[in-house]
Amino acid sequence: MGDNGDPRERMNDDVSLDEPKMKDLILDDLIKMLTDMLEISPTDIRPDTMIFEELDLDSLQLYELVVDLEEVYSIRMPDEDLDAVKTVGDVVDLVFRLSTQPEK
Amino acid sequence: MRAEEAQLSELLVRIYENVLLTEEQALSKGYFSDLSNAEMHTLDAIGPYEARTMTETATDLGITTGTLTVAIDRLVKKGYVVRKRDEADRRIVRISLTKNGKLACRIHTKFHTVLAKRILEPYSPEDQEKLIKMVSEIDDYIASQLKRYSGSDSIRKTAKKVAEEGRRRE
Repeated sequence: MGDNGDPRERMNDDVSLDEPKMKDLILDDLIKMLTDMLEISPTDIRPDTMIFEELDLDSLQLYELVVDLEEVYSIRMPDEDLDAVKTVGDVVDLVFRLSTQPEK
Repeated sequence: MRAEEAQLSELLVRIYENVLLTEEQALSKGYFSDLSNAEMHTLDAIGPYEARTMTETATDLGITTGTLTVAIDRLVKKGYVVRKRDEADRRIVRISLTKNGKLACRIHTKFHTVLAKRILEPYSPEDQEKLIKMVSEIDDYIASQLKRYSGSDSIRKTAKKVAEEGRRRE
């Protein structure tokens, strides 16, 4: 995923970005990943879209997304957190939380 | 042997065998059917995050680096592992998982957690705690027994002792 280098740069450079703006950027990335993977239109994806029921994502596709997000945002997404994820917005919130929390 | 002893002894062996068999079956019918159980555990030992050295990984798996090299060759060929020279010290080779390797590793971890989740589900939180405590005690005891045999020298010594005792009895 060569062109996914910029989001991380964007985030590191613009630490002043506020929460809604950062979440918008994460949503944009996520929409791009999902449209590449599922061959659907970006307009089919909203924050309240159910990832399993509506997008019909299977467990392998979910982990493909997770592995990509982990790489782009330099985060670790543990299974306990993923178990709670139901909508596209939940994924965005999780990525936001994990990428902004201080490293342990 | 008391009935309880016979039963526990049989259960221990059966759980061990069936967990392995279930993993093998799940693997062969899943997305990563070109991986053997041993190969999956090698990926697990490398882990989805930082690149690791051969020595570290071999120690975790309890195998020699020679054996690991053969396994890694195969996993590189299958596209699950990449080898890279350490930037700071060119003598060190680090191994890490490719995207497919990471996927296999994550799905495999999920297999184990789902299995554990289903086992715990029927019990109350108190009983779950008790069950984990008792199983941990079993684990500790068996690990302490294994320690007595660890190191090839002590295995030979133990084997010699057992053989001598056997001869004396004859």
